[in-house]
Amino acid sequence: MNIGVMLLDGPYQHQGADSAYQFIKAALARGHQIAGVFLFADGVNNANQFISPPGERNIAERFEELGKLGIPIVACTACAKFRGLRPNIKVEHVQLSGLGSLAEFLKQADRFVTFSA
Amino acid sequence: MNTRIAMLMRKAPYGSVYPAEGFRAMMGIAVFELDVCLVFMDAGVGVLAKGQDPSALDMKPLGDGFAALSDVGITEVYVHDESLAERGLSPEDLVLPARVVSAAEITEILESCTSVLSF
Repeated sequence: MNIGVMLLDGPYQHQGADSAYQFIKAALARGHQIAGVFLFADGVNNANQFISPPGERNIAERFEELGKLGIPIVACTACAKFRGLRPNIKVEHVQLSGLGSLAEFLKQADRFVTFSA
Repeated sequence: MNTRIAMLMRKAPYGSVYPAEGFRAMMGIAVFELDVCLVFMDAGVGVLAKGQDPSALDMKPLGDGFAALSDVGITEVYVHDESLAERGLSPEDLVLPARVVSAAEITEILESCTSVLSF
């Protein structure tokens, strides 16, 4: 099955970003594909390469890891502007793009899952 | 099968960014030839209430944007009957002509969609 994901939560405040990551890992382990991950609203903050949590899981590295696997991970450009997430601040394998990417993931996906507080 | 998206709006109009972002997402994806229907329930029904004035919050009234939905080709708007009644609202209090539906009907609407986007 091809699965699309949207994440509306930022890192650490709520469970959403962790759940999205764990869900994607579990889906891949079961042989599913991920059409794409759309980071929307505070979700774009998960792509901040300067996230550096002492002694804890690094959520930005987790999304970078998924991006390196070839999963399209897109952070909403407008949301990034609202939050000062400039292109040189984001991790390498997350792209900045618009809602067209969300529309594309929705078209490709057999199922679509939203993670939000 | 055409991609048919349900946008499920459940949060109060102000206090979080979710309904405003839901509105942006809806406008954004509707132009990419996706069928979009809107379902308002729980506190989300307040998004459609007439006469919103959030100027004291430095926000713009959300209802005004939703009143122009037909401009982007979105004609299916559903509102959960019990959520409306719980808040003392009637269909006449809304900024657009929405179809008032039961929870069972909402289940059918969501099942008719390829994907559900929750805000």
